[in-house]
Amino acid sequence: MSADASDLSLVRRVQRGDKGAFDALVLKYQHKLVKLVMRYVRNPAEAEDIAQEAFIKAYRALPQFRGDSAFYTWLYRIAINTAKNAVVSRDRSPVEYDLDRSNTDESYDMQGRMKDSETPEGLVLTDEIRSTVNAAIDSLPEDLRTAIVLRELEGLSYEEIAAAMACPVGTVRSRIFRAREAIDRRLREVFEGGLGRAEELG
Amino acid sequence: MNEELDSQLSAMFDNELPAAECELLARRLSRDPDIKARWGRYAVIGAVIRAERGIALEGIVAGRVSAALSSEPALSVDALQPAGRRLQYRWWQPIAGAGLAAGVAAVSILWLRSQALPDGSQAVAPALVARTAALAAPAAQALRNAIAPAPDSFVVPPVSSQRTTMVVPATELADYVVAHSAFSWPVSRGNLLSALMVSEPGTSSTPARSDQPASGVQGNAIQNPK
Repeated sequence: MSADASDLSLVRRVQRGDKGAFDALVLKYQHKLVKLVMRYVRNPAEAEDIAQEAFIKAYRALPQFRGDSAFYTWLYRIAINTAKNAVVSRDRSPVEYDLDRSNTDESYDMQGRMKDSETPEGLVLTDEIRSTVNAAIDSLPEDLRTAIVLRELEGLSYEEIAAAMACPVGTVRSRIFRAREAIDRRLREVFEGGLGRAEELG
Repeated sequence: MNEELDSQLSAMFDNELPAAECELLARRLSRDPDIKARWGRYAVIGAVIRAERGIALEGIVAGRVSAALSSEPALSVDALQPAGRRLQYRWWQPIAGAGLAAGVAAVSILWLRSQALPDGSQAVAPALVARTAALAAPAAQALRNAIAPAPDSFVVPPVSSQRTTMVVPATELADYVVAHSAFSWPVSRGNLLSALMVSEPGTSSTPARSDQPASGVQGNAIQNPK
């Protein structure tokens, strides 16, 4: 079994014209990519912009992706290059607004930087998501919690987790799935509630 | 969604689903908004477990990318063609490279052979050519004589006209062989010249043989050329 089979199957669909498959890839890797870009830029909003640009570049370059490397490895390189270029172009950009910055320091930080993720609603929603997931993980049975943490935090494969937990690979797959389902049941309520609040605010 | 499908989705998210099952599930994932939403929440769960602070968890980037790409044309087989052409080109690259290398090697060998050899060989080469030509000249003359009506001193067996044109080379051919003997391999040069000068006294260590008849040819050796 290829370690990248699922990503590759989605990539092949995108290459055949299925944009929805690319949405799945973005959903899967958006957090990792933003975190990666934040090594180069501190501002989360700027990191999101760069990650967005990297995804768009990746989409346009997908016809050239042959699957010699894992999709995320390929995407990782695009994101790194995009972040480096963004940092260089930002450093070269004129700074005429600096003259006014001392007078409007607070407004400068907010000007043009306020993204959805930094709005009060967005921040509240993110905190709510985080607390909900953490609470759900705490309430998991020990074997489920261990399995999902080994997978997501340590990045172990099912086979490695099976060896660590002294159980068959099929059991690992089942435990991780059940852990996700238990967390997702709570998380779905938050997302639906959050979207409802956003609509009310809009 | 049934539990088996959910389990497959979870395994696919971890890149732990067999490729054959991935194909089918990828199609559903790309089309079913509920499955896609669940897939996105799996990613959020992982981000929270990894304590990825400062990152918007509600999927801001995904929404923006999807909106930005909505105006982009979908990729198609046509879009894949450049990659295919490049792949084909890559396939030919080693063969083209080998052909080019062989050509360069051939030109180099010919050029080196035409150049002077070290240690005074440059002076030797023309002398060698002249000597070879001098040795071969009688043979060429003998061949010319063989074509012409034979003088009394020669024993020319009767041969058919067809055989004559096949066995006895034309004068131009003999001249060509002699003139290019300097550029041919020693073995083949020796063979050619010995064939031409098979009965030339002093040019062969073995006596001329008259026992090599071909069918219809009897005693084709030139016994006493002048």
